[in-house]
Amino acid sequence: GQEFQFGSCRVEGVVLQELWAAFRAVKDVVQAQDNITGVRLLRKEVLQNVSDAESCYLIQALLKFYLDTVFKNYHGKAAEFRILKSFSTLANNFIAITSRLRPSQENEMFSISESARRRFLLFQREFKQLDVEAALTKAFGEVDILLTWMEKFYQ
Amino acid sequence: IAEDTLDLLQHVKFQSSNFENILTWDSGLESAPDTVYSVEYKTYGEREWLAKEGCQQITRKSCNLTVETGNVTELYYARVTATSAGGRSATKMTDRFSSLQHTTIKPPDVTCIPKVRSIQMIIHPTSTPIRTGDGRRLTLEDIFQDLFYRLELHVNQTYQMYLAGPKKEYEFMGLTPDTEFLGTITISVPTWSKESAPYVCRVKTLPDRTWTY
Repeated sequence: GQEFQFGSCRVEGVVLQELWAAFRAVKDVVQAQDNITGVRLLRKEVLQNVSDAESCYLIQALLKFYLDTVFKNYHGKAAEFRILKSFSTLANNFIAITSRLRPSQENEMFSISESARRRFLLFQREFKQLDVEAALTKAFGEVDILLTWMEKFYQ
Repeated sequence: IAEDTLDLLQHVKFQSSNFENILTWDSGLESAPDTVYSVEYKTYGEREWLAKEGCQQITRKSCNLTVETGNVTELYYARVTATSAGGRSATKMTDRFSSLQHTTIKPPDVTCIPKVRSIQMIIHPTSTPIRTGDGRRLTLEDIFQDLFYRLELHVNQTYQMYLAGPKKEYEFMGLTPDTEFLGTITISVPTWSKESAPYVCRVKTLPDRTWTY
């Protein structure tokens, strides 16, 4: 079967098509709520040219943020829009991925993890500049951008 | 005065096939024939809307935005403003558009070559309007890493033969000479859950002219 290979971090047992199917089912509803079309949280500077070694640190930070901030606080909206099924599928798969990520903590990886952290902070800073509800809606609406990036590491 | 009125404009959306991205819309329920339309587009995350040259004050209801939406890693919006002769106007925007996610796949281009006891199928690469930095046109196979082909040969009502894979040349062997077969070939991209309509070829194996003594 296929697995994620974020550098040395390997994650099996997650089917990317299922994540896509879950998001595709809610994409138009969610993205239609986001009328700040001039702002993109997951910009090129966050996701472009990420090295394999960096990718494990970055995906861990992004998924942790999505679980701890976006999914946690968007649950009410998901219920309101009746998209809880897809919402839960995405959340559970993100939990499955993060629980299996083991980024190296060795010293020589410090500069790489720092580079990943700077990318994540770009994303987080953009998120914090928006009104909370708008930011949550935008972040959840950008899960397709995240999945498109994750697909590069899906072998 | 800009009014968001259903009676001037509706169904503004992208139709994408093999990364050919066409913006289409419908006139409203009470639109007069002399209503004119103007198109703008933008990259998601950019603030500025850009007017699409060639689609300003037009009366047709489609506009080719393939070039303007040609970066597969970007997402886009487009919007149409309809203006009636009486000066009323309405503007409507598309959903967020990603050609990677939205494009449909056309049937492949295939050459079916009948032989005496086999049929060879040669699948030709499908080029797209997407270009690399140095101007080379990308094929579907370049863009979708897990693209593969599914080939089926209908021998009779109950018996089919199957072949599949990413390569371009296939041959169904062990067939009866001088017999007609129906071949269907589809393109499949699992990660994006895309599958083309089939290319169909009807071919007849050649007669066997070898004499057995």
